[in-house]
Parts: sequence; structure tokens; C-alpha cells
Amino acid sequence: MASLLQPDRVLYLVHGEKKIRSPLSTLYFCRYCSELRSLECVSHEVDSHYCPSCLENMPSAEAKLKKNRKRICNQLNENFRCANCFDCPCCMHTLSTRATNIPAPLPDDPSKTAMKKAYYLACGFCRWTSRDVGMADKSVASGGWQEPDNPHTQRINKLIEYYQQLAQREKLERDRKKLARRRPYMPLAFSQHTIHVVEKYGLGTRLQRQRPGAPITSLAGLSLKEGEDQKEINIEPAQALDEVEPLPEDCYTRPINLPEVTSLRQRLLQPDFQPAGASQLHPKHKHLLIKRSLRCRKCEHNLSKPEFNPTSIKFKIQLVAVSYIPEVRIMSIPNLRFQKECQVLLTLTNPVENITHVTLVGCEEGDPEDINSTAKVMVPTKELVLAGKDAAAEYDELAEPQDFQDDPDVVAFRKSNKIGFFIKVVPQREEDGDVTVSFKIRHDFRNLAAPIRPSEEGDAPAEAIWLTHHVELSLGPIIA
Amino acid sequence: ILDLSTTPTISRMEIHSRSGAVVCVESEIRGDVTIGPRTVVHPKARIIAEAGPIIIGEGNLIEEQALIINSYPENILPDTEGVEPKTMTIGINNVFEVGCVSQALKIGDNNVIESKADLGKNVILTSGCIVGACCQVNTCEVIPENTVIYGSNCMRRVQTERPQPQTLQLDFLMKILPNYHHMKKTVKGTSTPVRN
Repeated sequence: MASLLQPDRVLYLVHGEKKIRSPLSTLYFCRYCSELRSLECVSHEVDSHYCPSCLENMPSAEAKLKKNRKRICNQLNENFRCANCFDCPCCMHTLSTRATNIPAPLPDDPSKTAMKKAYYLACGFCRWTSRDVGMADKSVASGGWQEPDNPHTQRINKLIEYYQQLAQREKLERDRKKLARRRPYMPLAFSQHTIHVVEKYGLGTRLQRQRPGAPITSLAGLSLKEGEDQKEINIEPAQALDEVEPLPEDCYTRPINLPEVTSLRQRLLQPDFQPAGASQLHPKHKHLLIKRSLRCRKCEHNLSKPEFNPTSIKFKIQLVAVSYIPEVRIMSIPNLRFQKECQVLLTLTNPVENITHVTLVGCEEGDPEDINSTAKVMVPTKELVLAGKDAAAEYDELAEPQDFQDDPDVVAFRKSNKIGFFIKVVPQREEDGDVTVSFKIRHDFRNLAAPIRPSEEGDAPAEAIWLTHHVELSLGPIIA
Repeated sequence: ILDLSTTPTISRMEIHSRSGAVVCVESEIRGDVTIGPRTVVHPKARIIAEAGPIIIGEGNLIEEQALIINSYPENILPDTEGVEPKTMTIGINNVFEVGCVSQALKIGDNNVIESKADLGKNVILTSGCIVGACCQVNTCEVIPENTVIYGSNCMRRVQTERPQPQTLQLDFLMKILPNYHHMKKTVKGTSTPVRN
């Protein structure tokens, strides 16, 4: 019955710009706003870049740009690609370096030959080797491999420089106009629009956010930059040619050598060359992956921040919903019959360490959030008490089991921080498709992140607030 | 001369002894199977000659749970009269990796059939082919030389070098396997067919 534990069986509703229903394991919980957040109502930011095969950390793009401003254009090709690792141009797997022994004449005495090591790149998956495209074996294990130069590099770099300058100028003008208009109201505010919009022509998103009221540091930065690159960059417009190279004469009669033709995917992964023949497929450096951090859009607090080290999978900040909100899971479903009352067993797990009180409330008629349910549900009316999560409980034999006085009609079993309880379901529709029920779950939440106010004597350190979530369960088809 | 037949029909197994094919006792070999010298058959490998004899050349490496089977075509019952037994020929220096299934009637030299690959009855492998892991090849064709079949969609490409014969591995195994497993005793020359 592992299918009952599938995550998409139980969905929680997230109130954001869009109403999103998704399983609790994919949601985050902002404990400053005390609300659930999904991936669509948080902002994603790039933390760092790393190579997935050698796990080397690369400084973020901005740091690189700031260090080597003058050499941006040459380095734009090297940004975001690992210097040591290569991708197979044929199957995109990571290439490994292999060594062979070849007899080579000794430098001192050409008549004698000694075994020297020669290195070549090979793919373990599709058996492509660097010798297939004619790349000579190198005598060093790493660092000897060069990507072929693009003949158009210079022209492209000049175009990029010109358009970057243009974009900066346009942005300055736009911001000056907005400031001039808004002077009576917010003299120091920077328009949110300017910051969030990815700058034109790919300068990259800005990592810092301006809060209203903060001094205009970036404007000052822009004027300094302008002082540096005062020279105007002029580009020649592209020239249209009348004559095009004619097709070869045997274009229609030559039989196709199918293994030599590259597939679209192989071709488009090398956009600067787009070779049509497999013997021109050169390996490219491996693309870097990113570590991203998530930030709540309303209160600007970080919800998820990974460690900097690529080898570590832990998080510095990890505000996931499963560690704050009680989770409902389906345990067993009897045969569902149309308009007959069936009893479904659900479990409720308490993720926090203190006792949680949970009340379940059915959805009322005309509830705007209740759009998917196809059955009537009767939830237990009494309040359910969940014990706290105690990590040491299984080792502590002397602990007395807490006595909760459960009603056996409602609570089926209780096991440390989990209880099983019954709900009654009456399917209302005879159609094909799953029986879906929804109800609201109301629980108390102690906010440990709230700032500690000077408390009166004897006041509890954390006050409980009550949170309500709308939960939808998909119980499976009706069995006639 | 040991009686190695386990089926009621005529069966005979020859293992050339002089350069020593190494065949472990735990491997299952049924039917008329000829194994050339310097071939290593790992334990739990299965070579089954149902619908005809199997002739395996020299220098082959047949790993655990590999299945080489000369089976009846699907629509013919085993007892039908008038069915010619077809011989399955396997060349030299082939590698049958762990868990592969091969029903191909003709396999050339220097091929590598990777783990859990599946070759159908109508495929003919020439030389230097590599059938990738978990690739099922059951088309009715002759695979050209030096072809590599890889990927979940069984993409193909031609490689410029043949796979190297696994001489180092074979030598190592021929030394080490007898230390840990019992070997099937060899039968010198041809034996008279044994009937049960």
C-alpha cells in the first residue's frame, strides 16, 4: 500500500498571489509571517556556482565581474563553465581522462624509445573518445585541452560591450525620470521595478535589494562607472550580402552517412559552431550548477539557505513546512461505495517538540476554497492532542507513557508523536475519477522566532497562535 | 570421463583442456555446448542449448547471471518434427557482462554486451560492437562493425576503435577463480554421446 503514502495524495492550500495546492513536503513555512509558502511565492536567488563533477566552487558572477572588469568580454565564455571538466559532445555525459603508454623517442637520444604516457578524453557511456574528432593526445593529465576558437568572437564581444553601455545609459535615464517625478513623496526611494527587472542585455540580476528609505548607493556607483568607460563604443552595422555560397553539386545525389550526421541536440549544445558532422563535435567545458536560496517576498526573510561548500547537502537556514506544520497522511482506505458511509484511517504527525492541539473542521457550504471535493466528510469534532516529538523517547525505557484518554471511536492508535484517527466519507458523485475530500485543520503554533519582548513575570516565553490550513485528500476511485 | 548430461536428449559438452577454459561448477550449462580455450565462465552464468548446439570461441568472458540461450523460435513447440537445429556461434574475445541475455545466433569477435542488455534471436553482431547497458536490440538486422548502441532510446554511433580484448582480466581470472570455486572437470577430445 505504498501508493497511499505518495506525496500528492494530501495537498495543502497556500494563500499567495495564486492559490496553490501542493503536498506539504514541497512547501516552506515563513515563521515571521506565520504562513505557508510555495515555490511560486518566494523569490529565488543564486547563492553560488559549482561544478557537479569536480565539486569545485566558483565565485559568484558578480564577484568575478567586479574583479576583472576590463577582461569581462574574454571571460564571458569562461564564466559559468568549469575549467577542468568536459562534457561529451555526443551524449553529454562527463568525460574522463584515460592514459595509454605510447613509445616515444627520448629527447636526448632519438634512436631509443621509452614509454611515455599519453592522455585522451573518453566517455564511459557512449564510448566517444577525443581521438574521434582528431584531437591529439596530450602529455599532461589536465589543463592541456583547449576549446576551438570561434572566428566571430571579437565581433560578438564588441557588440556585447556596446549594448551593455547602451543598457546602462537607458537605465540611468529611466531612474532619473522616475526620481524627478516622485520627489515630493519619496525622495530617496528607488523604484522597485528597476531593481526586480532583469537588466537588459544580460548584465545579471542584482543581488542586493534596495529597501525604501535606504540611501541611493547604486546610483552613485553608476556614475563612477560611467566615468571609467567614458569612451564611446561604436559598432559597424552588419552588412547584407547579395551572393550566398552555392550548394555543393552532389547535394541531392550523395548518400547520407547516417552516423556522421549530428542530432539537433548535439548541434544546438554548441551554438557557436553548430556542426553538421560528427567529426567536428568538440567537447565543451562542463556547465556549472547553482545553489539557490529562497526568500519570502513579503517579509524578506530567508526561507532556505544552503551551505556554501558544494560537498555539503545541509542548510544554514531551512524553514521547511514539514518541521512546523502537523502532517496528515492516509493510512488505509476501505472500499469506497457511492453514497455509502465509509471510514477512512488517517494519521497526524506532530513535528515540533511541544504538545500540539489540533481541531479539524469540515468545509462549509459555499466555501470558496473548497472546489475539488467530490464527497461529504465527517471529521471528529473533539480536539485531538498530539504529543511532542521526542528524539530520545525510543531509548528512554523508564519514561511513563502519557495518558491522553483517547476516545476509541475517534483515535485508532497513538504512537509517540503520531495518532491515527477516523473520518467518515460519503462519496457524492458516481463518476470516474478519484474521490476527493477536504477539511480545515486548525492547530496551535508557538513562534520561537518572535523577538523576545520584555516579559512580565511568569509570562510564557512563546505565545501560541492558532493557524488554519485547508487540506485536500485524494482517496482513490469508487469501487462499485 | 564424467557424465555431464542433465537432459534426457543427446547432450555433450566439450571443454578444451589444453589451454584451459575455466568453467565454474556453479554455472549452468545445458545441451550441446563447445567452449574454446582461455574462455572464462563465471558462476551462475547460464549457457543453454535448447534448440541447437552452441559453439563458443576462445578468449571470451561470460560473467555472472549472463544467459546465452539457443531457444526455439516463439511459434514452434519443442516437439515439432522437422525443425532443423540451428547452431549458435560466438567468436573470440567477446565480453558478456553481468545479467545480459543473448539469443543472437551469430556473434563475431571483440564485442561487448554490457550489463542487462537483451539481444533478440534475429540480430547478428559483427565485430567490435558494443551493446550498452539495458539496451534491448531485437530488430532483424546485421549490426555493422564498430557500432555502439547506448542510451535509453538505443541511440547508435560508430566508434573508431574496437574495444580492447580483456587479456589482463582473463589472465587474472584464470589464476584466481580456481582458488575460490570448483571447476567443471574437462572432457578430453570428443566423447560418445550419452543417452539417458
